[in-house]
Amino acid sequence: MLVLHQVHKTFSTPQGELPVLNGIDLTLDQGESLALMGESGSGKSTLLHLAAGLDVPDQGHISIEGQRLSSLEEPARARLRRQHLGLVFQQFHLVPSLNVIDNLRLQARLAQREDAEWTAHLLARLGLAGREEYFPEQLSGGQQQRLAIGRALAVRPSLLLADEPTGNLDEQSADTVLALLLELVAETRCALLMVTHSARVAAPLNRLVRLHLGRLEDPRP
Amino acid sequence: MIWRVLATLLAHYRRHPGQLAMLLLGLWVASALWSSVQAVNATAKDSYARANALFSAEVDQLTRRDGQSLTRDDYLTLRRAGLPVSPMLEGTLEIGEERLTLIGIDPLTLPNDNALGGNGDALTAFLTPPWQTQLAPETIDVLGLSRRQAPGATPTVDNNQRLPPLTLRPELPPNTLVMDIAAAAALLDSDNTLSQLVTAPGALTQPPDGYRLSRAATLASPEQLTDSFHLNLTALALLSLVVGLFIVQAALGLAMEQRLTTLRTLRALGVPAFTLTMAILLELLVFGLVGSALGLASGIWLAGQLLPDVATTLSSLYQADVQRSLVLPWHYWVGSLVITLGGLLLAGSGVLWRAARLEILALGQSQAWRLGYQRQLKRMTQGGAVVAVIAVGLALWLSRLPSGQGVLVSFGFVAALLLGSALCLPPLINGVLRLLQRLLHRRPLAHWAVADIQLQLPRLSLAMMALLIALATNLGVSSMVGGFRLTFLDWLDQRLAAPLYINASPSTLTPMLDWLDAQPDVDETLPTARGSVDLLAEKNARGKETTRERIALFGITPAPTITNRWPLLDTQTGRSAAWSALSARSVFINEQMAVAKQLAPGDVVTLETPQGAMPFEIAAVYPDYGNPRQQILMPTDVLVQRFGGDIASIGLVVNESADRQALRQALADNFDVSPDALVDQQEIKRLATQIFERTFTITRALNGLTLGVAALALFATLLAQARERQRQLASLWALGVPRKTLTQLPLYQLGGLVLLTGVMAIPLGIAITWTLVAIINVAAFGWRLPLYLFPWDIFITLLTALGVALAAAALPSIQLWRSSPQAMLNKGVV
Repeated sequence: MLVLHQVHKTFSTPQGELPVLNGIDLTLDQGESLALMGESGSGKSTLLHLAAGLDVPDQGHISIEGQRLSSLEEPARARLRRQHLGLVFQQFHLVPSLNVIDNLRLQARLAQREDAEWTAHLLARLGLAGREEYFPEQLSGGQQQRLAIGRALAVRPSLLLADEPTGNLDEQSADTVLALLLELVAETRCALLMVTHSARVAAPLNRLVRLHLGRLEDPRP
Repeated sequence: MIWRVLATLLAHYRRHPGQLAMLLLGLWVASALWSSVQAVNATAKDSYARANALFSAEVDQLTRRDGQSLTRDDYLTLRRAGLPVSPMLEGTLEIGEERLTLIGIDPLTLPNDNALGGNGDALTAFLTPPWQTQLAPETIDVLGLSRRQAPGATPTVDNNQRLPPLTLRPELPPNTLVMDIAAAAALLDSDNTLSQLVTAPGALTQPPDGYRLSRAATLASPEQLTDSFHLNLTALALLSLVVGLFIVQAALGLAMEQRLTTLRTLRALGVPAFTLTMAILLELLVFGLVGSALGLASGIWLAGQLLPDVATTLSSLYQADVQRSLVLPWHYWVGSLVITLGGLLLAGSGVLWRAARLEILALGQSQAWRLGYQRQLKRMTQGGAVVAVIAVGLALWLSRLPSGQGVLVSFGFVAALLLGSALCLPPLINGVLRLLQRLLHRRPLAHWAVADIQLQLPRLSLAMMALLIALATNLGVSSMVGGFRLTFLDWLDQRLAAPLYINASPSTLTPMLDWLDAQPDVDETLPTARGSVDLLAEKNARGKETTRERIALFGITPAPTITNRWPLLDTQTGRSAAWSALSARSVFINEQMAVAKQLAPGDVVTLETPQGAMPFEIAAVYPDYGNPRQQILMPTDVLVQRFGGDIASIGLVVNESADRQALRQALADNFDVSPDALVDQQEIKRLATQIFERTFTITRALNGLTLGVAALALFATLLAQARERQRQLASLWALGVPRKTLTQLPLYQLGGLVLLTGVMAIPLGIAITWTLVAIINVAAFGWRLPLYLFPWDIFITLLTALGVALAAAALPSIQLWRSSPQAMLNKGVV
């Protein structure tokens, strides 16, 4: 599903070159869920962005469903993203001009893969039924994040990438959102790569890797 | 505490310098355009005041009934009869390219205590050789002297004579020299002739035998004549001020929106609402003072650039002399400052009101904007409806007013039309966008684009309103000027029927006519004449009205060369019948007179002739563009013989083989006229067209600048929210929309919005053109113009507006293209 091979990434800063990723090798299979942990600034989000094709590595290659991202031009990467990937951000990134239902089906419609029945099912599962006409700012933080998860899953992606999806929520909301996320992932059988710094959030996932000094460490024996 | 609060508030602009620039830009342009027009108006008014203070409009004047020029004998005869008349001699002196008006007076007999000449020793110096030349300080530039050298200097003029020693008199009008009549006669080489005999207003109850008396009240002063012109300028400047203040309001609103959290925090930290409001007020005043200072400085510079053209216009159109250097009295400075600060406070009143009223907990809830904006749209619709009702009321009022009246009501109507349309624009756009959202439901990206532009509407609406006003005014004024140009050139073609014209003094032209008729090369002579008459009564459909008013007379030769082309607006029974009637005992009147006196063909005017009062039927009304005065037209011979008019010029039709140069030389040899006296028709047209173009220089400049300001408003608004836009686009990018599509989206969004606004501006612009040509011009100048529309110009204006919009929209797109959307995603919040 997702393969990262010897991925390197360095950023230029006013203080000089800053290597963030030093030869990352990672594989994620369909239906598998992986927690990516690490301290702040360790490069977790960078790795997630590379996996999503939002950025390109300096060395190494990344493949999604057998397609090498480095061989794709930007429009093709964008197509891959809207058809096969689901993205969930810590800061939701909902579209404020669209109401709940339009936000929910936005990516599916962009990918021309809208499934009304699935959308309705998602809406109910997200606990947002009856709030279709609400706009994002009229929802609570937990509701906004559930909507963001729904939007990512509405396209039935093969890979879901989540960047600190509960980082902006209180503990109770975080638990609810996480439980829902995992249930829906299981329902769709998509692979999940989740960036988090919370061991509690990482615990229910199949695998856990830690990013330290630009390299991946598997903390479990 | 207030200073700490102020510093905290101002810190916002350190992080958002674009907003500060937008705010100051709005204030700057609003103040600059307003103050430049006011500087031009103040200078012109100063010139008029000084001209009035001289005497022209303040005295009764005597002329001879037989139409002959006044002489010293007339003066002596009248004085000996005990009448309090005073002689005046007026002429022109040329100094290089410049022309100065020379006025010779007799200060001892001059009425009105106007202090010219002075008293005591000064009076003696004025009256006795070597005499004195009194002039305004700004006139000394023309003489090539400095202010220090001027007093006592005796500069030489073009005829190699020396002026009497100069004395500065600031109260005199520019380009005017005043001296004792004896010194003026020597300089003008005038033995016995006088230009005027004047008396104090009302000093004579009736004119002496053989003379006509023109009362001061019937002589229009330059100020009265040019009132409408200055009103037009003020209206355009007011428009620019309003458009500039739109930018200010947009900037203040945006800054308020973004500082709500800060305001809530300050209130939570114990800052009273009053202190907070006062701090915002103080902030407004600081910006106002900076903006006004910038605006005043550039407004004065702009006025300096525009003044020469305005002065030329006023001089050629109204014969009103306006100085070429600015005069800025104290009330100009105070007025400009008060208007700018007042406008700023008006634009900022909403922000102040909001800051004073909002609850601490509600202050930060900026997400309430959606509901708030819906309420605002409702208020706008209601306001627009109220203003529309006012516009309809004013239109009804105008329809009941006689033609040629209601300049102020017309401006009120245009203002109501513009304001009403501007208020209705955001609700209308909102409605169109809602409809589009429904129609595009199945096209997600287009659906998003429409929904997104609807989200931006609260911030864009002010800029769109400003753009609508500026576009409509631009289209309206351009069509009026373009239509006027076409009409004027056509009229000029018809009016200048003869290929050559001779201009000289009446005493030269009269014998010249016989000589010309005897020349084999000359096929036809078409003399014109000028004179004036007392209008005693007018009879129209509403009845007869008696009056006594001096009216200008113009004489033409009704030969086929003229009658086949001379433009007529209205006749009783057709052109040929009108010309036949003119040759009998009818007259034509110009449009200005028809409008002012509500006269039409078939009506009758009673004129005073040497044989007594005589009625004349009006056979036709003719257009007379560029003439501010009412005029009666009759055959030249009738005017000369019956009304004592003078030959003013001779139109010549020469055969094809004629040697024009030889004719020019023969005229110079036989009649001692300069070779320039014979003017080609093309040359007259060229000069007239040049004057026409200069007349509208300031209108075009203000019009273009107003559109520029509106474009800046749009640009600045988009600039201020560019960062936020990038985040929105970055979110879509993350969802898999290609970058190329994303960079094109804002262009379609804003392009569509501006096109919608532009399409709305077209009917509004046509309505403004119609009001200008059919009502305001008639009331201001006395002539009505046909309504012309220029589709190509409309297209170009819309294209320009679209170009500006696309350039502004391209900014976030380019930034998105050049920067990392990933970085924007990291910063973004919904």
